[in-house]
Order: sequence, then C-alpha cells, then structure tokens
Amino acid sequence: MELNGEQLISAPIPDVWKGLNDIDVLAKSIPGCEEINRISPDEIHAKVMFKIGPVRARFAGKLLLSDVVPDQSCSMAFEGSGGAAGFAKGKSRVELKQAEGGTLVSYTTEASIGGKLGQIGGRLISASAKKIADDFFQRFAKELGGETVALESDAGGK
Amino acid sequence: MTVKKKISMTVNGRLVNAEIEPRRHLVDFLREDLHLKGPHLGCEQGACGACTVKVDGQIIRGCLFLAVQADGSVVETVEGLTKSGVLADLQESFMRHNAMQCGFCSSGMLLAAAELIEKQPKASREQVREWISGNYCRCTGYHSIVDAIVDVLDARAKGQKIKAVLANA
Amino acid sequence: MKSAAFDYVKPKALQEALSLLEQGGDDVQLIAGGQTLLATLNMRLSEPTVLIDITDIAELKGISVVGNSLRIGALVTHTEIEDSELVAKHAPLLKAAAPHIAHRAIRNLGTWGGSLAYGDPAAEWPACSLTLRATMIIHGPAGERRISAKDFFIDLYTTSLEPDEILVATEIPLADKHEVFYFHELARRHGDYAVAGLAALAQKQGDVLTNCAFTFFSVGATPMMATKAQDLVNGQTLSAELIAKAVAEARNEIDAIADITNSAEAKQHLIGVLLERGLKHMVA
Repeated sequence: MELNGEQLISAPIPDVWKGLNDIDVLAKSIPGCEEINRISPDEIHAKVMFKIGPVRARFAGKLLLSDVVPDQSCSMAFEGSGGAAGFAKGKSRVELKQAEGGTLVSYTTEASIGGKLGQIGGRLISASAKKIADDFFQRFAKELGGETVALESDAGGK
Repeated sequence: MTVKKKISMTVNGRLVNAEIEPRRHLVDFLREDLHLKGPHLGCEQGACGACTVKVDGQIIRGCLFLAVQADGSVVETVEGLTKSGVLADLQESFMRHNAMQCGFCSSGMLLAAAELIEKQPKASREQVREWISGNYCRCTGYHSIVDAIVDVLDARAKGQKIKAVLANA
Repeated sequence: MKSAAFDYVKPKALQEALSLLEQGGDDVQLIAGGQTLLATLNMRLSEPTVLIDITDIAELKGISVVGNSLRIGALVTHTEIEDSELVAKHAPLLKAAAPHIAHRAIRNLGTWGGSLAYGDPAAEWPACSLTLRATMIIHGPAGERRISAKDFFIDLYTTSLEPDEILVATEIPLADKHEVFYFHELARRHGDYAVAGLAALAQKQGDVLTNCAFTFFSVGATPMMATKAQDLVNGQTLSAELIAKAVAEARNEIDAIADITNSAEAKQHLIGVLLERGLKHMVA
C-alpha cells in the first residue's frame, strides 16, 4: 500500500521540525497513542490503539529514523505488531519545504499490512491510512498552535 | 476471565439449562455442549452459511450469535426440524436431485431454503438463487440444489407432495 | 477463530446503558444485531472486556408514524424493514434496498441503527438515510440531540456519534404521492459489498423531476450526494441531452476512491451508469 500526501501547516519550519521530533507533541498527535518512549536519538517505541469502525486493535510499534537532515527531511522505517489482529511494516520519507502560509510537509509511505487486519481490512486499508494521516496532521498542527490549511489540489486523494 | 452466565433455552423442543462463558457462540454451544452436529463451522465470519440455525422462528448465523443471546429463546437445528413439513419435503427433494455430496453445507442450505419457501412461496428460480447465495457449497455446483428447491416450490404451489425417494433396504 | 473472553450485560433501560457506556470507555462495546461486531471479535480485531447488549431497550424499538415522519427505531432489523407495511407505504426506497443487504440470516439480526452507526461506505442504509433526508435522534449523558443525515456521516467509519452516545431512532419525512425512487447496487454476486450503488429520490411531474436526491455509495469514504447533478436536473425537462449532462456532472463532482477490488476509474464510470439508469427509471 502506498500513501503519499502533502499538508500545509501554518507554522515556521523550525517549529514543525522540532514538533516532529518532540515525544510529547507526537504523543498528543498520534491518534490513539497510549505510550511513547524515545529509546535512542534514532529509535522511538510506541503503543497505539487503532480504532476504526468496530475495530479496536492495540499496536506495539517501533520507529527507526535515518538520513536525518535537520529542518529538512528524514526517512523512517516502522513496524508494529497488533497481536492477533495482524502487523504492519513499512517506510516513510518526510520532507519540509518553505511555502506561503507556513511549512509544506510532504510524505511518501510504503506499507504492508499483514495478518487478519490485512485480509479483512484490505478493502479499505488505503482509505483508513489516509484518514489516520489526516487526523495526525490536524492534531499535530493544533499542538504547534497553528492549523492545517486546505491545499488547492487534493494530493494523495487517489 | 472465566465469568460464566446461566442460560435457559428450548432446543429442538427440549428445555436446556447451562452455565457458559459469554463469548461462546451459539453454534459451538449446540455442537460441543449439546452434541448437535447438524450445523457446521466454516468461516466464523457469517459469510459461508454452514452454521445457519433457527432462533425464534428465523434463520441466523450460529457463529454471529452468542449462546447467552439465546437465553429464553426457541432454538431449532436440522435435527429438530427433520420430521415433517417444509424441511422433510426439501430433504426428499435434495435426495431426488442429488443435491448433497459431502453434506457440509446441507444443514444450512435446508434451513435457508425452508425459510424462503415459507416467506416467498412464489419465488422464481432467480430469487431462489439470490436467496441461497448466502450458503456456500464446494461440491455440487449449486444447480442440483436450486432444482431441488424449485421442485418443492412447484409441488407446494400445486398442492402436491414430494414423492419419497425409495431406498433400497 | 474464537473471540477473547468478555463479560456480558443486558440493561433494560436506556439510562443504564448510557452509564455503562460512559464508565467503560474504550474497554466496552455495544452489541445490537452483532453481525458486524461478532465477526470483528471472532478475528480478535477488538478485545472488549464487556459487551453491553442493548436489545432489551424499548425506546430503540419499533416503526411508527409520528406527525409527518416515519420513525424507525435503531433496533429494527433489516428484515423488519423489508416486511413492514408502514415502510412500504411511507419509505418504499428502503423496502427496495433491504434485499440487497448481505443475506437473509444476516438481515434477520442486523439492525437499522447498527448500519447507520458504523457508517460503512458500502452500506445501503447510510446512503438511503441521506437520500431520504433523515434526522438522527441521539441520546447521551447530556440528553437528546438531533442531527440531519447530511451532517451525520463525517469520514470513513466516522459519524457524529460520540463514544458515550447511542443512536436511538431516525425520523424520515413521509413519502408524498409524486415521489419516485430508484435503488440499485452493482456487485459481483448478490449480497457482496457493492462495487457502486445509487439511492435516488425525486418528485415527478410529467417529464420533470424536482427535489432530487442522488446518493452514491461504495465510491468514497462516506455516502456521497451528487449535488451538482441534482441542481442540473431539478425543474428541467428530462431529455436525453440533460441526462447525459447530469451523468457527466456526477462523474466530475464525485472523487471516487479505489478499494481492494475496483479502481477509482471503474467506480467513476459506474457512477454515470447508475445515474443514467436511475434517471430513465424515475422519469418513465
């Protein structure tokens, strides 16, 4: 599954970069985040309750950062286990650019979902992932004291 | 957590009392606790229809119904319905048309067909096909099952009986 | 697969159910028909510690005419809607749609309220409730509130319902004698999730349709109304030319999203096919 998108956040680049690296900001931004710990400068562990429709699956996940260029971009590899519900694995690249009105955050993600969630949820995995990403950015922007600004073209919509 | 609930229900005409875990499905309760092997377990998601049983006069998926939900209800399986009426006619017709091979889907098919005949006695072949699309069969290819059901509909419309298949001794 | 263990309670009163829901938070789930929930629990995609069975609660039951509306309780099953004379008379779109929902055994237990509360984009009832301009009646710790269907469905599996609220019933304006409707669902097999579907309603006077409502389902994250196509058709003589224009507009205004079996382009195409069939049917 691929998920690519762009969000315009009405906050300056250094604030956005700082926020993306701040455990407390991430804790409040990730929908369903129950626990989050920084194990090392490049490794974050988190427990997230994934809620969509009737599904309530607790995922224990690991995030590994690499190719970090401060105030600009980074790559991350992630994996999460949802116990009997299934698992997710993938990688993502995030880039920040100066834009009119704030910071443009572009992300590309490749993920595979396995186990029950993949089989059954497969129907709407992309739509669910997009919704989670949108929710994340709305909360993240709010944490920074700004907001997400609607973009002209709906990038990542299909 | 092994909290158990006391339940009481009528199964194939007999009063049954039990104490079971809330998560126990009706079909597992019937098969494992009451040894009624008529309904089968297929997908446990409600798609295949093998677990179909009757509760309070209507067909339901035994895998999408908890035994605790059947407290105070009337439950019927193919074993209890087999003596007469629509189900008996269907069984004769199934035999005539060779509509059963391994038998795994048959209990569900019979119960689903019986409800169709009761609710839509004028059903067309197309309607029969749509109605039983909730019951999967891996053996017969379905046509013989549809033929068998259509025969019962036709016979009933004409007020006729389905001729019993003569069995060799 | 078998679900994880849980406790089971069956309150008789709405207030009791609301308290249990509020206290339980993320660890409890409501069960009505259970046709979606139990499948979910069977696969351990959720492991609540308590199920709150709401099927004994009187306020959630029954179909009745209240003033100028048809009131349908949240616990009414799909089969009850299919068989109801009141529905046949006052909201015939629902009677036409009901047989498309899964299969009979599921319809005998699954509920009107359950389908609306989950808001599955492929479900029939959310689309029908939009087209029929339903009002949702919701109860929570703060009492009763009402919200129209068009504001109720917000995003994928996301409705206006808060975690501590219960959908109690809906009210639908009674059908008037000029009303025509069209319901169709395209699916590979009968009972499958729709590839694309249309629930349409209008008032007809000769060749002219007014008050049009065209809601498509299984094409987006929520049911989607083709409002621009509606505006085009309202009050105009429905010629072949107008139908073609409406079809093009519907395909243009709705941003279909792909699902696991069908591309966005396929759904876009089918939106037009359904609308064309629907308009021709309604004006005939």
